[in-house]
Amino acid sequence: MSDKISVQSAPPSSAGGSGSTSTKTPGGSPQNAAASRGGTRVRPGDFIFRFLSTGSAVLIMIILAGVALFLIISAIPAITADWGSNDQLNTGPTAAFPNFWAYVGPLIWGTLWSAAIALLFGAPIGIGIALFISHYAPRRLASVLGYLVDLLAAVPSIVFGLWGIIVIRPFLIPLSDWLGANLGWIPIFGGPVTTTGSTILAGALVLAVMILPIITSISREIFLQTPRLHEEAALALGATRWEMIRMSVFPYAKSGIVSATLLGLGRALGETMAIALIISPAILVSVKLITEGQNSQTIAANIALNFPIATTLQRDALIGTGLMLFVISLVVNSIARIIVNGKPLGRKKKSTPAGPRTPGPLSRVPAGDFASATALDVVSGSSRAGKPGDEGPTPEEDIEGARY
Amino acid sequence: MAAALALSACSSSSTGTASTSAATGAASAAATSAPLDASLTGTITAGGSSAQANAETAWITAYNAQVKGVTVNYDKSQGSGGGVTNWLAGSYDFAGSDSPLKPDQVTAAAAQCGAGGALNLPVYLDGVAIIYKLDGVTKLNLSTETIAKIFSLAITTWNDPAIVADNPGVTLPATPITTVARSDGSGTTQTFTNFLSQAAPSTWTFPASNAWPVTGNVSSQKGGSGVVQAVGAGSGTIGYADHSAIGDATAATINKVEFSQDAATAAFAAAATTVPTGTGDLSQKIDYSKLTGADVYPIPLVSYQIVCTTFKDAKQAELAKSFIGFVASSVGQKVAAKNAGSAPIPDATLTEVLASLATVK
Repeated sequence: MSDKISVQSAPPSSAGGSGSTSTKTPGGSPQNAAASRGGTRVRPGDFIFRFLSTGSAVLIMIILAGVALFLIISAIPAITADWGSNDQLNTGPTAAFPNFWAYVGPLIWGTLWSAAIALLFGAPIGIGIALFISHYAPRRLASVLGYLVDLLAAVPSIVFGLWGIIVIRPFLIPLSDWLGANLGWIPIFGGPVTTTGSTILAGALVLAVMILPIITSISREIFLQTPRLHEEAALALGATRWEMIRMSVFPYAKSGIVSATLLGLGRALGETMAIALIISPAILVSVKLITEGQNSQTIAANIALNFPIATTLQRDALIGTGLMLFVISLVVNSIARIIVNGKPLGRKKKSTPAGPRTPGPLSRVPAGDFASATALDVVSGSSRAGKPGDEGPTPEEDIEGARY
Repeated sequence: MAAALALSACSSSSTGTASTSAATGAASAAATSAPLDASLTGTITAGGSSAQANAETAWITAYNAQVKGVTVNYDKSQGSGGGVTNWLAGSYDFAGSDSPLKPDQVTAAAAQCGAGGALNLPVYLDGVAIIYKLDGVTKLNLSTETIAKIFSLAITTWNDPAIVADNPGVTLPATPITTVARSDGSGTTQTFTNFLSQAAPSTWTFPASNAWPVTGNVSSQKGGSGVVQAVGAGSGTIGYADHSAIGDATAATINKVEFSQDAATAAFAAAATTVPTGTGDLSQKIDYSKLTGADVYPIPLVSYQIVCTTFKDAKQAELAKSFIGFVASSVGQKVAAKNAGSAPIPDATLTEVLASLATVK
């Protein structure tokens, strides 16, 4: 096990060193320099690998900047146009709006609203599944379940969309009828109740299923990292399984859960095809869940639906809404990063003495890279004192099993 | 070879009642369209209207049976607007579009195609069907005025006096009406709102638009198939879709006229007039007020293939002329009618299309 780890950690070490000292070519890795000085054969490989990895890093930034620039440049004509008098904008899908902001405002609301409902359903279930896999399920079941949840991520969104149309929509109609009849006085259940079932509720439920894999897999990894000593200490003090989870797992995994949820939110915000197929959209600000004609449209679905018939300026307007989605996603992901950077980094500092070579590169690994975080934990996990107890939490073998 | 195909297409045509006109159609096609040059080779790239997609598939198959060396790629994922945009950018040899070029696109086309501009060639004819699902009601007739009231949400229950008056002797339940429209922009929506705003202007106060203009208790679905699905899955639902795409859904008769290929062809012949945007252009304008007879379908849907008058590459011009010439022959029209359920364009118009096509270079 430890052999494997040292092999794993070696490449990031050299890559990280080269990244920070890219200008100082000869002295890139002081320790190794003396050893490898004699063997000139190694150096071209070093150089090429550094060039490739640095190039990749630069390339992704160029691409991102290019996308942002494209969105901004394309959107400007539509944002600055007078929508009321422009022949291209006062027809078709953009006809009823005085300006760009009146058009994009309800779309932003619809995007956030549908994603929020999806999170409301998806996050607790996703975290529940993760907890079951990491702390409750027998080893065999945990590995199968983990695999199945990961498989869910591979289902194309158009398949989810069709599933939503054919299964979920009819399935929810009786519920919608009941909610409308009995709880119709609550605004979110108000309005004329749907007959075709194409509500934002149906769309958000399908979205919730779609964000399950990302929330589950990230939460699972975090839960598995809970220090065994904490868990066993809680159990030794007489805590039940649930109390142990509440007192040792949740506090430890809090930031991880938040970031998993926010990454799930990011997924929900950008989902297009399932929403476009399931929801009967309208461009308005509405909180109603079970109506036919008052479901707030999302940005991504609106682009997909109207792009084919758009005039030049309408296309620019759609790209402008895409720019807004870009900004929203950026904000959400940044928040996720900030939160996930908070606690685990502090924890990593504590583990510094255990692994002299690992902290440097690993602290530079992007915060969302949970695989590396897990690798780190496996390093420190080898020094854990815990033995698999009779009623204790999942043994180390189960963790491996749960992973695959 | 072409004559043989014409005969077989003719004899296998399902519209047996129109055998006389079909036979004359085949004869005139043989007279107007030159036999296909089987020695052509190359690739035609095109795309646009999804309404045309099934017909394009049928055309390409039949065309390749004779001209094996030409590959025709038709991308329906772009929709009419995307097809025109790509064509204007020079990516397509022709665009399929449910509406002729708009004024700003005509200007843009002049830049792409040279002084002659572009030609809108009507090659595909279908009808907009009104489909519904209402338990216990298997036959329904709706007048133009009632359709306008239903879709503008002025009528909200199925036993409204206006619907009862259109259906004497039919017991209609008090079920609420749910109208189902397209959530994506569409040539079908454009045609249907054109029809409503011209045929029932006092009731239908919304603009004609490619995006459904009515808001309120409307179920909006993506694509014609989405509308058909939602109408079928609901109760008390009514929607509109291309007739060739409605499948098993029940279509209402409009002013007691049931859709048929003959009725759509007759409607085109009776109400379509050419409103050219340039020399040789064949943009059609439908005068819906003329479509009140018992043998003409009130909501015909016309779709175009759009080409440059002057191609940048003479070889591509030859290929496109060959393919569109086949499409606009009465053989091609019958192939589409048989395989895609569309209605044949009247022979007189086909002759005009072929004449315009002959000027392309």
